[in-house]
Amino acid sequence: MLILETKDLSKRYDGVAALDGLSLGIEAGAVTAVIGPNGSGKSTLVNVLSGVAPKTGGRIAVSGVALGRITASDVAAYGITRTFQEVRLFNQMNVMENLLVVLTEKNVFGAILERHAEKHARRAEELLRKVNLWEKRSELAGGLSYGQRKLLEIARALASGADIYLFDEPFAGLFPEMVKIVEGVLVELRREGKTVVLIEHNMDLIRALADRVVVLDGGKLLAEGATAATLGRREVLEAYLGE
Amino acid sequence: MSILPQLIANSLIAAGTYALIALGFNLIYAATKFFNLAHGAMATAGGYAAFFLLQSFVGINVVLAAALGVLFAGLLGWALDRAVYRELRKRKASNTVLLVASLGVFTVIQAVIAMIFTSQFQTLSGGAADSVYQIGGAAVTETQVIMIAAAVAIAAGLGLLLKKTLLGKEVRAVSDDEEVAKIVGINTERVIGWVFFIGSAIAGLGGILVGFDTGLQPTMGMSLLLRGVIASIVGGVGTVYGAAAGALLLGFVENFGIWKISGEWKDAIAFSLLIVFLVFRPQGIFKR
Repeated sequence: MLILETKDLSKRYDGVAALDGLSLGIEAGAVTAVIGPNGSGKSTLVNVLSGVAPKTGGRIAVSGVALGRITASDVAAYGITRTFQEVRLFNQMNVMENLLVVLTEKNVFGAILERHAEKHARRAEELLRKVNLWEKRSELAGGLSYGQRKLLEIARALASGADIYLFDEPFAGLFPEMVKIVEGVLVELRREGKTVVLIEHNMDLIRALADRVVVLDGGKLLAEGATAATLGRREVLEAYLGE
Repeated sequence: MSILPQLIANSLIAAGTYALIALGFNLIYAATKFFNLAHGAMATAGGYAAFFLLQSFVGINVVLAAALGVLFAGLLGWALDRAVYRELRKRKASNTVLLVASLGVFTVIQAVIAMIFTSQFQTLSGGAADSVYQIGGAAVTETQVIMIAAAVAIAAGLGLLLKKTLLGKEVRAVSDDEEVAKIVGINTERVIGWVFFIGSAIAGLGGILVGFDTGLQPTMGMSLLLRGVIASIVGGVGTVYGAAAGALLLGFVENFGIWKISGEWKDAIAFSLLIVFLVFRPQGIFKR
């Protein structure tokens, strides 16, 4: 079943097409890697799907429901969350607060009284232990190392409890032990039946983690399908993998 | 008798007034990243709302009239955000556009107040004369004591609100990265609405206390705004403690600056302080 679909999706920046009539489908409950050379439109695709950049044309459907437009304010309600290539945290807050602000109920009185604080604190602890940041819980997010910031952003995405996770290069710049943590997170998300869209350059990681691959070129779809078969296609090998 | 205790008292009173403007101004700036010049008009509106109630309903409790004035200023700020700024944000208006719009809003509110209440100077009074206390050699009125106490209590309260409540965390999240705040499911428009309500209500309280202390005029908002903005910039734009520290410094520099010279130099001293900070420490005392 397709949980995310695009049809003739386009995004232009000052007349330059970053996405050019892109039609593709993302399978529910699978890890789909999006690959392609720099400038092929991978990050733009994630930006459009998460409402960060408004589409110029085409259609997007989530769980079969066509959306006229998608804005950053809508994505949480559609069960979508994301991380960024350049990590974006709430730097004024400590590590724990970065998760609590996502976990706590968001109604008028809950906002003042912050109810169910214990339950949320337990969930935050669980997530911080998962990404090995529990010891850093009282430190300001802005003061963490690059890798720790990436891990915290991933934990924050997990805190949202979304169905669809858009990860923009989550492994980039991580130490090997941190890569293992993120691998574990992705495996667990798949086991839980969540949908993951993963922008990644490392082919070994893609072969190990992705069920499907979408290959972009110049904002267009070059190939899509099961990982091994798609990566083995001649045009993909020749043009993008250098193999 | 030494003039020093009175100068210190005057400095603290001025600091209290400026803090009541700067605290709300900084809170709104933190969430929206624009200079809301209409903030000065919230102080005027609060003062005149209390004045209207005290004039219209003889015998009304002064505290109740003041509380309703504060509520009115808060609701006015919230309504302005919904009607004007939110619409501009939807249209992706730049901060310059928002600033110009806020100047327009300020002018309209000031003109409406002048039309309803005339441009005459009005006194805000609860009936009884303001008690005067002698504290450490300085004469201080009851209103001025309330002003200083309110500024301290509100600064501490806002600090707690931002640190300890979900709303506070949401405000800090919006302040850090509004787009990401939206993506993680924070209703940023609701948060900004709250910020306008709280910030404007604090300014309204400032206007009411100034009304009791020195009286009301439709144009009073501009001088309050200017002092509030200077205090914000000096203390650090967008921070609660910055607003309080900036107000304190401004109050003392202004009042001690005119120790040996004419009081007419007060404005020049205030703006000199601003220029010194803009040149040598543009981030203010507390950097965000």
